[in-house]
Amino acid sequence: MGDEAAQGRESRTAHLGRASATEHDSNSAEEFTFWTRPGARVNPFDIVEAEHLADSSTYGLITNIYHSTDAASHLSNFISNDFGELLGEPNTPRQGTNVAKASVLSNSSDIYMPVQSEARVAFANEDGIHRALGIDTMSEKEEREGRKLRVPAGLIQMSNGEGAIAYLDADYVLGPESAHVNVSGISGLATKTSYMTFLIQSTLQTLNAEDIAVILLNVKFDDLLHIHEARELQHDEKAIWARLGLNAEPFSNVHYILPWGQDSQRTGRPNSFGTPPADCQLYAYPLEYTAARLDLLLSQVPDPADTLGAMRGEVMQGLGQQPRESRWQGVSSWHDFLRGPPLFKDGQAQRVGNVQANSVGRFLRLMRRVVSTRQSGVFVDQLSSRQTTIENEIGELQGGHTYVVDVARLTPDEQTLVFGDVLRTVYGLYAGDSPLDERELPSKVIVFVDELNKYAPAHARGMETPILDQVLDIAERGRSFGIVLFSAQQFLSAVHPRVIGNSATNVLGRTDSAELSDRAYRFLATDIRGHLTRLNKGELLLSHPIYRQPVKVRFPVPAYRLGS
Amino acid sequence: MLPAAGQTIVDGARPDIEELYDRATGGEAQSEGIWETATTTLYRPVVEIPRSERHLFKYFVDGSTKTYFIGTILEQQRSSPVQLAQVGAAGIQRDIDGGLHTVDVRHQIVLLLDKSALSEDLWEQLQLTASGVENLLVRSTSEEDEYTAIGGNEPRARGAHKANWLMREAELDIARKHRPGRSSDDWLVADGSVGNEYLDWDGPPLIGVAKTFRRDSRFVIGTGPRAKTLNLYGLLASLDEGHRTAVFPRRREGRSQLIAFWYVRLRPQRQLDYPLMGVVKVEIPCPDGSPVESELADTISGALVAERSVTPHGRDSRWHAHLYPVWIAERVIRDSFYSDEVLKAAIRWPEPDERGRAA
Repeated sequence: MGDEAAQGRESRTAHLGRASATEHDSNSAEEFTFWTRPGARVNPFDIVEAEHLADSSTYGLITNIYHSTDAASHLSNFISNDFGELLGEPNTPRQGTNVAKASVLSNSSDIYMPVQSEARVAFANEDGIHRALGIDTMSEKEEREGRKLRVPAGLIQMSNGEGAIAYLDADYVLGPESAHVNVSGISGLATKTSYMTFLIQSTLQTLNAEDIAVILLNVKFDDLLHIHEARELQHDEKAIWARLGLNAEPFSNVHYILPWGQDSQRTGRPNSFGTPPADCQLYAYPLEYTAARLDLLLSQVPDPADTLGAMRGEVMQGLGQQPRESRWQGVSSWHDFLRGPPLFKDGQAQRVGNVQANSVGRFLRLMRRVVSTRQSGVFVDQLSSRQTTIENEIGELQGGHTYVVDVARLTPDEQTLVFGDVLRTVYGLYAGDSPLDERELPSKVIVFVDELNKYAPAHARGMETPILDQVLDIAERGRSFGIVLFSAQQFLSAVHPRVIGNSATNVLGRTDSAELSDRAYRFLATDIRGHLTRLNKGELLLSHPIYRQPVKVRFPVPAYRLGS
Repeated sequence: MLPAAGQTIVDGARPDIEELYDRATGGEAQSEGIWETATTTLYRPVVEIPRSERHLFKYFVDGSTKTYFIGTILEQQRSSPVQLAQVGAAGIQRDIDGGLHTVDVRHQIVLLLDKSALSEDLWEQLQLTASGVENLLVRSTSEEDEYTAIGGNEPRARGAHKANWLMREAELDIARKHRPGRSSDDWLVADGSVGNEYLDWDGPPLIGVAKTFRRDSRFVIGTGPRAKTLNLYGLLASLDEGHRTAVFPRRREGRSQLIAFWYVRLRPQRQLDYPLMGVVKVEIPCPDGSPVESELADTISGALVAERSVTPHGRDSRWHAHLYPVWIAERVIRDSFYSDEVLKAAIRWPEPDERGRAA
């Protein structure tokens, strides 16, 4: 009798409450409601397990919690306090209960009948969480196919202290099923870059890193210019890495590709923030190399009549053709190009081919602003032995290596050029269009870019640019080539919907309520959307094709030295 | 003329049953003298005693019934209305922190017919059949009890009364059952008048608290030529919030025990639209027939005043005088009842014969 009583007590304390269906609020195949016993604490995003038919379990994600009482109205509560006199503690506290709504994730026996009223509900354990999310199917797939594909993407931590590793299915991150990862959230709070580098390291450590190359664009200060250097971690920080089954270590085989600057000739240092890594390559944009990429350089300039397009064609032909036409033979520097024939003579712009002089003049004004007046130093007349190009460096892509391309101190036009150059080079390599020597390429290349909205803006109709075309190409077809885009931006609504739509995994950090009203977030349930405004730094919402609902995860701090 | 509580209300065929029972059990409408140790004042202020200061009321008992007329039984020339009643009672315990939990719930289904209108054979057959059904009682509406007169002569009204009487019996049983373990500081509050069932109550302390009560009471205060008589309205008109009236006796002919009662105003009248609103009638058994200690009446009244928070406002028209734990007990009972649909579905009607008549 004593053991039964003890078991009964244990059962009562282990269970959170019971499912509750009412006349006006029924349970459904999509969601169920349960009341919680006094003292029980649950939070949104906790995963619970409800007893169900045929000894099965239904798993649910808590989306919201309500406090319900028997007060008929607020007026009743007001009157209960002596008509607003604010009495002390009531003699009998009003009967109330906390009621949680949970969105159905899965059932252990594929029974999707509504959870029956009075079914006991408890926190799910780690195995239950994995079953709920569909991660158990990943394990079965691993065993069946004899390969690793579960990539740790963060820790799910619940109110009862239990937790579980949230895994992503590599076939949905790197392909072939689907690919690409996007993260958004308020700058400074959403920890987008830290998460992406963590996810990349997790991918490299879990899968065959020798088969994967990584390209990171550094857009902010020197955040990613020390990723090869270890950082001393606190004990609890290391524990999270260990819990995830990952090594807390910096990136290895890192190549830094930093921009040439105005003072680089004199100092030998790149145009970068902070102290540059000892071993780095400096890239620049010489005239002929840039001429072949003018579409990327002027991609943000409206050109409805395609006059700039025609101009680009003339220039690319003039400078790219070997041997050159006679009128282009004297052009060997940017100064020659911008202030000499065939484009400019006697102080005036000249007609070139079918392009009228005034259009040539407009082209020259734009080019002078970008490559002369406001340039950061990255444009050079000729490549010296101390300089390289993006194409040269990225063209040597190797599996197991990480390439950091710094653009932080470049002008916006230059950043667009470099980003476009990187993408075009990678796409050319994998699509077989590259002029570079054919060789064995890594099967996958991950390209991480921040501020994706600059290159693939949401409202680009009528303003399609080569950059946007490139990004869309990779978003829609990249996975079949092995090109995977890891992207980030502050506002999901600011990014082209076809890019977001093709991103299989979406990660959301803290977001403000005005942004959340945009239809870009319609894939989230209303209750879940509201919680995005309250995420703490380091907390993220992870949406993955295998998961039936987004889950909240925490991830470890970077194990590499952070920027200054 | 005083307006009805809550302005004009639809008057049913019978008025409030609590008021009926109060009148039926209260004997004569007139009460003579004051029945407490301090007899000098008609009204006394009370000091509110919240639970946090002294947890006096720990048990609450209430009952509820729901009676359905389901048909008429015909036995050759005899006939009787057939009623089905759900009778329930519940005991609620309140802990030191204010939390409530159920200590006892009773739920009975009762089949009510007029035995005097049917044959003995049929009645015996009914009893036999019912004995095989769990939780089903068969009772005769013509069976006399102390308050049969409340039901009058109309069989269906008597059926409703019978159900109510069974409810009171269930309440008393709960009160008796939970006597052991209760100390002199563990008071039980029964909803409504204690009637005469508790006249010889010898258990731990108990009071009845009535939300509605007979309106024809008269009170004779004093003796001799200076004696004055007050009706209920006259008495309560001068009863202020947080005050109680003097204690009065309710005697029963031929019995030395008595029930002492008084009135307490829980809420200020200005916020309520009827002079009797916010007033409860408190009844306490005096098995030894002696006057109530005035301090005890003050303590009970002070604890009752504290019970005004929280209220079931919006859920019950009697919220102003309804103690919340008692209302919870009522909810517990109602929640244990079958819904009308379930009850109706549980009633099996005989198949009609070849001529289309019910067998």
